[in-house]
Amino acid sequence: MLFLAMKQLFSKKTQTFLILMGVSFGTMLFVSISGVQLGLREYMIKALLNNTAHIIISGAENEITEKEVRSQIYPEGRFINWITPPGGKRDESKLESYLGWVEILRANPDVYDFSPRFSTNVIIKSKKIKTNVNLVGSLPKKQIRISEISDYIIEGDFESLSSGGNKIVLGVGVAEDLGVSLGQFVDVLNAFGKITPFKIVGLSKFGDTRTDSALAFAHLSDVQKVNRTPGRLSEIAVSLTDIDKSEELAELWSSFSKDKVQDWRSANAMFMEMIKMQDIVRYFIMFSVLIVAAFGIYNVLSIMINQKKKEIAILRSIGFPPKKILILILYQGFFLGICGGVVGLAMGSLVTYGVGSIDIGVELGGSNHIFVSYDYSIYLSAFIAALFASLVASLIPAYMASRMTPIDIIRGQA
Amino acid sequence: MIIGKNIVKEFGDPPHRILHDLSFVIQDGEFVSISGRSGSGKSTLLYIISSLDFPSSGQVLFDDEDTSLMSVEHIHEFRTNHVGFIFQFHYLLPELTGLENVLLPPRNIDRVDEFRDRALELLKTMDVSKVADKLPSQMSGGEQQRVAIARALIMKPKYLFADEPTGNLDSANGEVVMNILKSINKERGTTLCLVTHEEEYAAMAQREIYLIDGRMSERG
Ligand SMILES: Nc1ncnc2c1ncn2[C@@H]1O[C@H](COP(=O)(O)OP(=O)(O)O)[C@@H](O)[C@H]1O
Ligand SMILES: [Mg+2]
Repeated sequence: MLFLAMKQLFSKKTQTFLILMGVSFGTMLFVSISGVQLGLREYMIKALLNNTAHIIISGAENEITEKEVRSQIYPEGRFINWITPPGGKRDESKLESYLGWVEILRANPDVYDFSPRFSTNVIIKSKKIKTNVNLVGSLPKKQIRISEISDYIIEGDFESLSSGGNKIVLGVGVAEDLGVSLGQFVDVLNAFGKITPFKIVGLSKFGDTRTDSALAFAHLSDVQKVNRTPGRLSEIAVSLTDIDKSEELAELWSSFSKDKVQDWRSANAMFMEMIKMQDIVRYFIMFSVLIVAAFGIYNVLSIMINQKKKEIAILRSIGFPPKKILILILYQGFFLGICGGVVGLAMGSLVTYGVGSIDIGVELGGSNHIFVSYDYSIYLSAFIAALFASLVASLIPAYMASRMTPIDIIRGQA
Repeated sequence: MIIGKNIVKEFGDPPHRILHDLSFVIQDGEFVSISGRSGSGKSTLLYIISSLDFPSSGQVLFDDEDTSLMSVEHIHEFRTNHVGFIFQFHYLLPELTGLENVLLPPRNIDRVDEFRDRALELLKTMDVSKVADKLPSQMSGGEQQRVAIARALIMKPKYLFADEPTGNLDSANGEVVMNILKSINKERGTTLCLVTHEEEYAAMAQREIYLIDGRMSERG
């Protein structure tokens, strides 16, 4: 039947070509729109993960509870009516047992690497200008491994921090506010007003002005020293080999520790909501496009069946059963779907490539091109959808064709 | 042997009777013509005899097998293996060459290669070897009808049904086609059932079923 199906399709070249164009165009549209959307998303996730990480382990809030206080002061079972129940924080939150975590993280094959961090608010001063900055201390080599931080360093380099000895990477905004540049020194003031000079070894730019004018990086031990809290950590940033396991692992780890374990998704719930919306829009586009393509296929096949009634009658009188007539038409729909789909995928990837190479004149994360994605899942879903649409669209004409009896057709002709 | 028993065919609502209680026997190897004026019910009767259509009441038996009781698969298989059709309009598939058209019935049972030689031989017998690789649009009416006859004969059918096969041909071509059909009946012993409104051709048959408004008057 394949032989006949192909013969019939190719005898109507213009029609076949037009509908192929339709299917291809739909598939192309979906592939390129998805490519740009997912590319942008990948970029945003990447940018997001620089400030967070797949999983952040931080110290739990150190709250004073009513029960604790009561058991300290009053004997068991005594009823107490507080006018104001005891509450508030006992201490700033800090990570309970770093070494315990190191053991857990090292033993887990899903953990790619992790970096302990300690961040604190400081004032950075140059001559008479001061600015408030969140100073993040990390182990630079580890931080480079678990994030894309290097991509966002526009001058100097992040790795220079690794030797320690009071070196600092400033956000470009900070450097601008202070009027300093690479190689110069700035003064870092801690909460007690003590000044430590730091040498600028790099400038970072994330593209977000607020971040860039309020963020600085230094070696973990330098920051601990500035804050006079040697050994203190605020968090451990964990990078996994598979980002999709972050939720699962975060849940597991928080179940056996007092520390707060949060995965990047729950830390960025708003962003995830937006992604969901984008997906809905994308699938809506795909759905609409496919409906159009399906109507095209349906039309072409219906017209073709009308034109080929006589031939269907001949095939039936020769002994081709209705089932084979059905298959004959389905094959043609399938062919349109597969070919249109494949061509559409190719065109879609070309368009994606084209869009990806447009220079938008704005630098984003180390490149001034629109981010695009060539993720295989886009191509797979587009192809499956094209195939599905063409199959559904050819079912009705195929069924109608198989239901026609040779006599009705011949009578209709005569 | 084909037996027709009290065949009645009605169309429409309220039913309009086209064939009135027809009974007949067609022996194996016989050449029977069905003639009558236009609208007398010839085609309707032929389609019923040939298993393409079914009577409103009554029976058609092929060697004691009732066509109305055959399953869809069986009836199509029966058509492929035992029945050849020739229509007035030649009904070749326009996108297939002459040879491919002749090989359609074998294609239905996936035996194209086995039948290729026979197809070529049939085209030669019909004197249309030269259109084997041509599309129907490049053939004359007579050539198309001969290709259609070759297609009807490819499976060596026991029965051959022809509905005004010469109706669309000039008299010279009509004559050629009639002679071919007659020799098929004689030489191969194929049962031939021919619908025609031309006296001359009807008379070539061993037996003639003459229809007047769906009623039979047998002559010959
Ligand atoms: N499907 C049908 N519905 C209604 N009337 C029909 C149908 N098929 C045939 N007829 C009628 O039956 C009569 C006989 O038709 P047909 O067998 O084609 O005659 P013939 O072949 O002798 O010219 C005609 O009057 C025709 O209009
Ligand atoms: Mg007729």
